[in-house]
Parts: sequence; C-alpha cells; structure tokens
Amino acid sequence: MPDLHVLLQDKPGKHVLLLGNEAIARGILEAGIGIVTTYPGTPASEIGDSISEIAKDAGIYMEYSTNEIVATEVAGGAANCGVRALTAMKHVGLNVASDFVMTLAYAGVRGGLVIVTADDPECYSSQNEQDNRFYALLSNLPCLEPSNSQEAKDMTISAIEISEKLELPVLLRTTTRVSHTRGPVVYGRVTKPNLKGEFIKDVKRLVMVPANSRPKHGVLLRKMEKAKEISETSPYNIVVHEGKNKEFGVISSSSAYNYAVEAADLLGLDADIMKLGMTHPLPEKMIGEFLKKHEKIIIVEELEPYLEMQIKAVAKDYAPDVEIYGKMSKQYFPREGELSTRAVAMGLAKITSRKLPIDFGKIDENYAEVARNLPPRPPILCAGCPHRASLYVMKKVAGEKLVYSTDIGCYALGCAPPLRAGDMMTCMGASIGTAEGISRVISQNTFAIIGDSTFFHAGIPGLINAVYNNHKVIVAVLDNLTTAMTGHQPHPGTGMTGMHTPSEKILIEDVAEGCGVKYVKVVDPFKIKEAEAVLKEALARSGPSVIVFRAPCALMVVRERRRKGAEVVVCKITDKCTNCLACVKLLGCPALIVEDGKVEINEALCVACGLCASVCPYNAIECAKMD
Amino acid sequence: MKEFNIVLAGVGGQGILLAAEVLGTAAIKEGLNVRVSELHGMAQRGGAVVSNVRIGEKVLAATVLEGHADVLLGFEPLETLRSLKFASEKALVIMSDEKIPPTELAAKMMKYPSMEEIVEKIHRFTKNVIIVEAAKLAKKAGNILTQNIVLIGALAATEKMPVKTESVMEALRELVPPKHLDINVKAFKLGYKYVKKGKTKF
Repeated sequence: MPDLHVLLQDKPGKHVLLLGNEAIARGILEAGIGIVTTYPGTPASEIGDSISEIAKDAGIYMEYSTNEIVATEVAGGAANCGVRALTAMKHVGLNVASDFVMTLAYAGVRGGLVIVTADDPECYSSQNEQDNRFYALLSNLPCLEPSNSQEAKDMTISAIEISEKLELPVLLRTTTRVSHTRGPVVYGRVTKPNLKGEFIKDVKRLVMVPANSRPKHGVLLRKMEKAKEISETSPYNIVVHEGKNKEFGVISSSSAYNYAVEAADLLGLDADIMKLGMTHPLPEKMIGEFLKKHEKIIIVEELEPYLEMQIKAVAKDYAPDVEIYGKMSKQYFPREGELSTRAVAMGLAKITSRKLPIDFGKIDENYAEVARNLPPRPPILCAGCPHRASLYVMKKVAGEKLVYSTDIGCYALGCAPPLRAGDMMTCMGASIGTAEGISRVISQNTFAIIGDSTFFHAGIPGLINAVYNNHKVIVAVLDNLTTAMTGHQPHPGTGMTGMHTPSEKILIEDVAEGCGVKYVKVVDPFKIKEAEAVLKEALARSGPSVIVFRAPCALMVVRERRRKGAEVVVCKITDKCTNCLACVKLLGCPALIVEDGKVEINEALCVACGLCASVCPYNAIECAKMD
Repeated sequence: MKEFNIVLAGVGGQGILLAAEVLGTAAIKEGLNVRVSELHGMAQRGGAVVSNVRIGEKVLAATVLEGHADVLLGFEPLETLRSLKFASEKALVIMSDEKIPPTELAAKMMKYPSMEEIVEKIHRFTKNVIIVEAAKLAKKAGNILTQNIVLIGALAATEKMPVKTESVMEALRELVPPKHLDINVKAFKLGYKYVKKGKTKF
C-alpha cells in the first residue's frame, strides 16, 4: 500500500484490502486511540509504521521507543492519565516489556490500553516461536485473538472497550499469518483521538509498594471474574457452524481456525465448530456446554496446547468422559512450526477415520524429484551491505580462533559462510553480556557484534557491565544508520522521530565514552586498511573497547540514488582477472556470479560498494566509487 | 467458481508483494473475497519469497494447499521449481526466464540448470507452461524493476483469473506511485501483448 492515507478516510462501509497490521492501524483510528508506541519487530512492524505515516494528519502521538518495555511504559503512563493508548511489539518484545506488564496488571489503567503481541510461528523472522497466549495466563490480562484483517480491526476497538470496562490492559495477539495477510476490511467511523490526559494522584492505586500491591492482586483476580463474564457473552466466542455430525466438536482460534474450517470442508466433516476470539479468560460455561454435547472434541490451535490444557480442566467439571484430541495425550497436530490446511486435514482425517481426498504422498514424491539438487536460497546480506565489509575485516584480522558473539539484526546473517562471523546469538542485546561471560572463562578477547538500533535497545547495560567489571570484549557496533531488518525505522541515532520531526542525534561513540569505555573508535568499514589498524589496536588491549563501523544501509543508499536519478557505474571485472574466485569465496556477495568458471558482475544487483575491488589479490576489479 | 489460487514465487527484491497486492486489490474491486499472504523481515533479504493470492467466497486460510494452485507465477526459474508442490495438475505456470543464481551455486561451482531441464521438471506437475522474457520486456518498458508487472500483464492476457483486466489496471493505478505509473502500465501492456501474440517459448 504505497499511500497509507487511505487508512484515514472516514467512509463507513468502504471495502479496503488491508494487511492485518494495517487493519490494526485502522482500528486505532476508529477507536480514537491517542498514543501509539512501538519498537519495530517482524511481524508487528507495520502497525507502528502505518501510524507513523499518518499520525500528524490523524492527530495521534506516535513514537518509536528505544525498546519494548519503554514503549509499554510510555503507553501505560498515558493510559493512566485517561488517554487511550496502544503499544505494538513482536512476541519476544513482550519478554522485554513483561516486567512492567506483570505489575501494571495490578495497578491497572484508566484509559484503554492495548498491548499487541505479534507471534511468529515457524520463526519466519524470529529467534523462537514462543506462544504469547501464556502471557495472558501469567499476567491475568484478557487476550483477544483475531483470525483475519477484519477481526484485527474490530478486536482493536473491542480491546480498548474491554480495557476501559475492566480498567486493565488487554493483549491483542496476532500471528504472522494474521499480521501479514491481506484481507477485506469494512470501515467503521473514525473517532477523533483525545490526547489530553489528567494525572489523578492515587498512591494506593498506582504505587506498587508491597502494602499496596498485596491487595491489588485480589483486585486483579476479581477483574478476571468480570472478564470471564465478558468472555461468556463475547461475540468473538461462538459456535460458527452447526454440523450434522454430532460425534465430533471442533474448537479453534486465530489462523488455526481458518485451516480447521478449510480442512473440515476438504474431508466433508460436517461437525460443530466453535471459534474462540477471546482466549483469555476462556468462556468456561460455554465451552463446558459444548463439551457435553459431543463424545469427541478436537482442538485445533497453533503452537502450544494452550486451549487444550484449559479445556481439559473445564472437562473435568462438565464432561469428564469426553475425549479430547489435540497435542497432548491424544497427539494429532504438530506443536512446532506453523500449522497449515494440510497438517490440520491430516490430523482430522486420522481422528475421524476419513480418507484424505488428496494424495499428498504422491505430491511429495514428485516434488522430491524436482527439489533434488535444488540449491537453497536463504536470506543473505544484500549486495553492497556495509555489514559484509565490517564482518570481513573482523575475520581477516582476528581469524577463526576468537569467538564472535552476535545479535539480532541483519548482521546475524553473517553467521553463514563464507563470513562465518557469528558463534552465538540469542536475543536483543545479548551479544555483549554473553561475550563477557565467554571472555572471562576462555581468557581471550571476545567480539560482541551488535547493530545500532539493537545497541540503543538493550546494549547499553551490557556495555556498562563490561566497563564496571573490566571484561575483555571488543564491542563492534555495526551502525548502518537505521533499523534495517524491520523496514528502516528511525532510532535515537538517526535524529528523526516517528512523527517525522527532527530530534537530537545520539551518537553511539558518545554513549560509549559516557559509559566509561577508554578505547572508542569510529571507522568506515569500506576503508579496509584503516579498519584493520583499529581492530589490531583494540585486540592488543586487555579491557573493553568499542568500535563503531559506520556506513549507511545499502538499501537506503540505492533508494537515495534512485530518488536523485544518479546512474550507478557497476563494478567491472577487467582482463587482469585470473578467476581465482577469491572475491566470491571471501565475500559471498550476491552480485558476484560464476558462469562457466568465470566471475561476472550481476549488473542489476551491484551497487558499486567496491568491497570486491578491495579484496581482489590481482587488482582486477574496477570500481568507480560513488557518493 | 469455488476458489482461485495463485502462488507467486521469486527472490526478495523482485516486487512480488506489490504484484500480489495488485491482484488482491483487483479482486476486492469486483467485490470478491480474497486473502493475500506476505512475508516480511529477515525472509525478504535476498532469500526465496512466496506470496499467495486466494480468491473465493469461502476462502479463509492465507496459504494455498499443496496441489491446489491454479496459477504459479514464477519470477525466477529455480524459485518456480521450489513452489511446484502447490501446482495442481491443470495449473498454468507463467515463468520469467530471468535467472538469479543463488550465491551457493557460485561458492560450490555448481551450474545453474538449463531452461530445458527446468521445463522438464515443471512438466512432472503440469504441461501448461508459459515462459516470459520478463527482464527484456521490463527493460523495454523503461525499468528492469518492472518485471513483476510484466508478469501480471502476462497473467491477465491468459484470461484465467476470475477478475477483469480493467480491474487489474485500476489496481495498478491505485498502488503504483504516480511518477512510476507510465513505465508500469507500459510493462503491463508489453507482458499482455507478449502472451496474446503467442511469442512465448515452450
């Protein structure tokens, strides 16, 4: 959607094709939400990005916060002044925010607060596939789960309403297939956002010292009782289909519901189907009555058996003899990876002893023939990516012996051959702390590789720890001047806000010096010789050091050139080339291709960064350096 | 029409998501129910990208079931092969002949398979193959990056889709920024004519 202003149209009844995340953005406008905060993360990014584009026109305040807990704190602070707020993050972002969320549940809110968590089954762009519905159980917060774009919009509005009714934040849990699928959305009315709040001092309510938080736990549990009543009558918890086959009853939610309906159709299984859209707290009575009507219950859900565990508990009281099929004792659906119509159909066929109308075995066999020798095409660092240069020079200087602790961002792709610069990676900011632990016990300098946005997000406490406890780490901040992986959002180092207004540029080298690091250098990764010299110096030290490798993301460079209409003179292989393939083997640049043993430049991909020219042992590559 | 499924397969950066959105928007314009699946983030960085467009009253799921694609729109030959399991026996494969060798091929000194080998593999799934010189036509239109729209034009020319060509053009006008519209319309028309005139290979 090139022009997001379509989202602003106050045309109730209009049909628009929206991404799930754009539909949430539309829901924000219809709900009159005044404050939107986020830290970008796939698959949640387009919620904040859409609002960022239209915030000024919509009269909304939007910010890219430094990380998810700060984002939630900002939204939670505003909501406690009576302003409607929403914060959006990817599933692992809620881990970061959880410290605040767990206790905000005690304090509650006055204006509605929605916390969007976008889960990523199949780890399409994530380090794990945790099921964040368990956060609803853990925190005692209500949870809504849309299955398509229309519901994503509608539930954003409902979540605000429930939040205000209960004075409690509400989780809106999507998955990749909800956030990143386009579907039709019918517009409702836009509500003018209110940005003017009032802070009412109330120590007992808002200051969670033990004496105040103890009774608040009880308050929270009583709010949950009210939430159960809402869930029992929620329009999102309904029997969507009454079938002729009464032996089986299907219960499902979110994307899994879509697969369940299509798979049941495929098998001609005309069973009752219950769809759950409010999945915390569950409508116990409603589910109990549904269980009573069937001999066998099939629970179709993605990732963990979240519904199944709770429905089994409901069955104990309502229908102890009902058989429950899902992922636990009667295991018919995968607990790992994302579901699919195929996976659900195969499970349903087994449970109901039906024959699949499709011979998947034959398709697989045929496909195996085709896929044999099909080279994989994993995501890679783009042609011209400055991270390639940074990682190349680090490996060149420090070699294989040192450990390269890396972090969340494009540079994590550098763990693949030929660079192989990434030995451990877990979560945002962890590169620095883990490098410290590693260096302490292997008694050698250890690299921590971290991006600019990730450094601001969670790198600073780790860096302070390195100074405080004198760890032998070389923190390489790969500063490409943007949050690249998630779609080029601004961050504290860019001097630009989510409202598109200029702000103070916070320089990483200044932060490092402020943290007490004695050796701080800034280098251009494409100036290989200079970068090498700095790295050698850092390696000779016994305390922590910070090297900022600074060069803009290649995608931004290309975009800027296109905007200016600048012609790119791509790199050229001259006849000095001996086809030693050093460039190909050292760099793994997608613009370097080999045809019949000869190196060629892919002109569509080359952005003339000149890195291949720098590494060629025969000076056989010509590059007219641009910019 | 029960449902109509299109699988778009290619490499990150080829404009697959825009092509899918154009098709989905065209369907919405005709009041049809539709789902368009996308992948963002890490998956987009030069890796294999697959998008699905599903049109039909009862369509709910974002993804096409194996063996159920009516059209496989291949932006790159190897990626077309990678998505073949989705093609039905009657599927129409419309494929660009523009090869983008994965970096692993260069590193391992492997050869990119010939067009004959690729077509032979496609024939295991379906006999209906149209190969489009998408890069050549996109360059002719004025920008190599319009290969995605060339392929959309080619698809429109086959008249297989349950949406009118005018609706696709209308969606294109809505979604492409005005300054790039002329080149994209030209690319669409070149792809359209290429198929209509039967210039396709194989």
